[in-house]
Order: sequence, then C-alpha cells, then structure tokens
Amino acid sequence: MPSLTDRAWSPYLAGIVIGLLQIPAFLIIETALGASSSYVTVGGLIAAWIDPALAKIDYVARHISAAPKNWWQVALVIGIALGAFVSMKLSGASRQPISPIWTRALGTSSPARRYAVAFAAGFLMLFGARIADGCTSGHGLSGMAQLAVGSTIAVAAMFAGGIAAAFTLLRRI
Amino acid sequence: MFLTIAILVGLLMGAVFGLALEKSRVFEPGVIVGQMQMRNFIMLKVFLTAVATGAVVLAVLNGFGLVKLQPKAALYAADIVGGLILGIGIALAGACPGTTLAQVGAGYRDALFTLAGGLVGAVAFSYAQPALSKSFLGSGGGKIIFTDMLGIHYWLGALVLAAVLVVVLVSLEHWRPWRQEIGRDVDGDLGPLPTKSDRNVRIAPAE
Repeated sequence: MPSLTDRAWSPYLAGIVIGLLQIPAFLIIETALGASSSYVTVGGLIAAWIDPALAKIDYVARHISAAPKNWWQVALVIGIALGAFVSMKLSGASRQPISPIWTRALGTSSPARRYAVAFAAGFLMLFGARIADGCTSGHGLSGMAQLAVGSTIAVAAMFAGGIAAAFTLLRRI
Repeated sequence: MFLTIAILVGLLMGAVFGLALEKSRVFEPGVIVGQMQMRNFIMLKVFLTAVATGAVVLAVLNGFGLVKLQPKAALYAADIVGGLILGIGIALAGACPGTTLAQVGAGYRDALFTLAGGLVGAVAFSYAQPALSKSFLGSGGGKIIFTDMLGIHYWLGALVLAAVLVVVLVSLEHWRPWRQEIGRDVDGDLGPLPTKSDRNVRIAPAE
C-alpha cells in the first residue's frame, strides 16, 4: 500500500491523483487545471505597484481582478509548494540546494551559473507559456484531456523545444 | 464570499497536486531533463496517466451534462511559437511552471530563481501583450476540439483517447519499468552515461 511516508510512488498512481483534480476544478471553480496564469496575477500585481500604468493594460487588469478563478489558481500553486514540502518532510527525502544533475548538464558546479540559467529559464518558460496561453498543466493536462486542437499542437511544440534544447544547450546527464 | 471558498479550494487542491508531484518525483530536474534527453520516462508516465484520467473524468461529467468543457482557442502560430519557447525554458529550468513551486517546497534553492525569472517573464509578456495580440501571434481558430471536427460525441472521443493511452502506458512500463528510473536518491539521477572506455573495460556480468 502506498503511504504518505514513502519516498516515491508509482507514476501511475500519482497521475491518477492529478487527473482526478479535474473534478473539483470543473465542478466547483468551473475551470480546468492550470498554473501559468497565476504568474501574471502575482507578477502583474507586484509590477503594477511600481508602475501603475501596467494595471491599465486589459490583459493585466483581467488577471489581477478579484475574479475567484484568478486567486484560486494563485492558491493552487502556493498549495503545490506546501504539499511538496509536507510530502518531503513526511518521507524524509530532503534535497540538496541544487540537484546533482546540474553539474553534469551545465559542465560546472558553480551555483551562480546555475542560478543565472534558472532565472533565464524561468523567464523563457513564462514568456512562452503566456504567448501560447497555457503551460504543461493548462494545455498539457487539461487541453489534451479535452481533445483541444490548439493544446495538442502546443504540447507537441513544448516537447520539440524541450528536446532540442536538452540535446543542444545542455550536456548529457 | 465565493472568493474565499475558491482560495481555500485552491490551497487544498494544490496541496494534493504538490504531494502527487513530490511522490511521483516528476518535479525532479533529473526526471524532467532526463525526459527531454530521452533517458528517463517518468515525466511521460505521470503526464499521460493524468491526461487519461482527466479524459475519463470529463467524459463522465460532460457526457451526463454536469459540466461544460473549457477548451482554449486554437491560436496556431502562438501555440507553436509559445510552445517552443516554453519547451526550451522547461529543459533549462528542469521544471515547468507548476513543478517549479514543487521544487521550491521540496527545498531546491535554484527553483527560487526559476520562480523569479518566471514572474519577470510574465510581466515582460504583459507589457508586450497589446502589441503581440495584433501580430500574427494573435490570430487563429476558435475553441476547436477533435471530436467536433470528426462529428462525434466528446465523451466517446475522450474514452477512446483514454483507452489508447492505457495501451501506450502499459507498453511504456514494459519497456522501461518505473522503479528503475527513480534513481538511488529518488531524484531521477541515473548516473553518468557509460562512456566508450567504460564499455571496453566492462567485465562479463556474473551468471
């Protein structure tokens, strides 16, 4: 029997749990699972505090409004961090500050190098996700389950970009 | 009032999501980079299982008229360009926008930089959005789903997709058992690839 104190679960069990989360998402919030819009909500709110003109852009205004969907998703991603933290504490699978694979993938053990790459990668991830209007959750989990044509194309592009970058910009791990 | 409920529901759902991401190890950079380098298939296993489960769930909920589908509009150019950029980011981050938060929770310090970069990226896009939406990236089709194109019920198509994915997953597991992909420190790190010289000196395995 899988237990909360296990260090690893079968990917199939975890996948079923994640897929079942569509039930409360559709029934209670009337939306599909997603993650990347929350970056616009939080980032937009912080940036609008420095530059109030940003909040006048329609796209930003829509994301930082008090609509339940916006803040449900912000709560969801905060919950992800909490859930992962609790799970790690229960199993004792604590992590080093940087995964050991990065020394091989980047060819250096310098934390500064890794932090710089991570920042740039985060920027690309969200800039790309917002162009595509969704990420691995919104297009991947939810869009593909709904048989959405655009989402299927977006997921194919994500894997194409990811595989190309992993083979050309990183060393083999 | 509903806002408060939505936030509480979000926190609870997120906690379950984060737990599943941590237990499956799919949030590990070793798993995500390993997937993109075709060495570790845990990411595909979790992803396709979640898609299949979601398809069954929605086939039932939508088939019985309990929920409306919420597909995103098909913006072909934006889906391709955005998807490619997002994919490059995923490989270099060893994370996606959701799993970045799981990495933060599990204690990866570099994930804080991924998160900060993500917030800046989302703000940069927000500034560019009015211009981008008028460019070639803003055009495309409507909220098209495959079953409408085929003229069949969504629930039928979704169940067929789930059945196909189960076959794919069973084959995938047969080819690459998940227990062999977890890694010694449950981080998806399978160690350096054997080099040519390793292979030359390798002794015959014991019977």
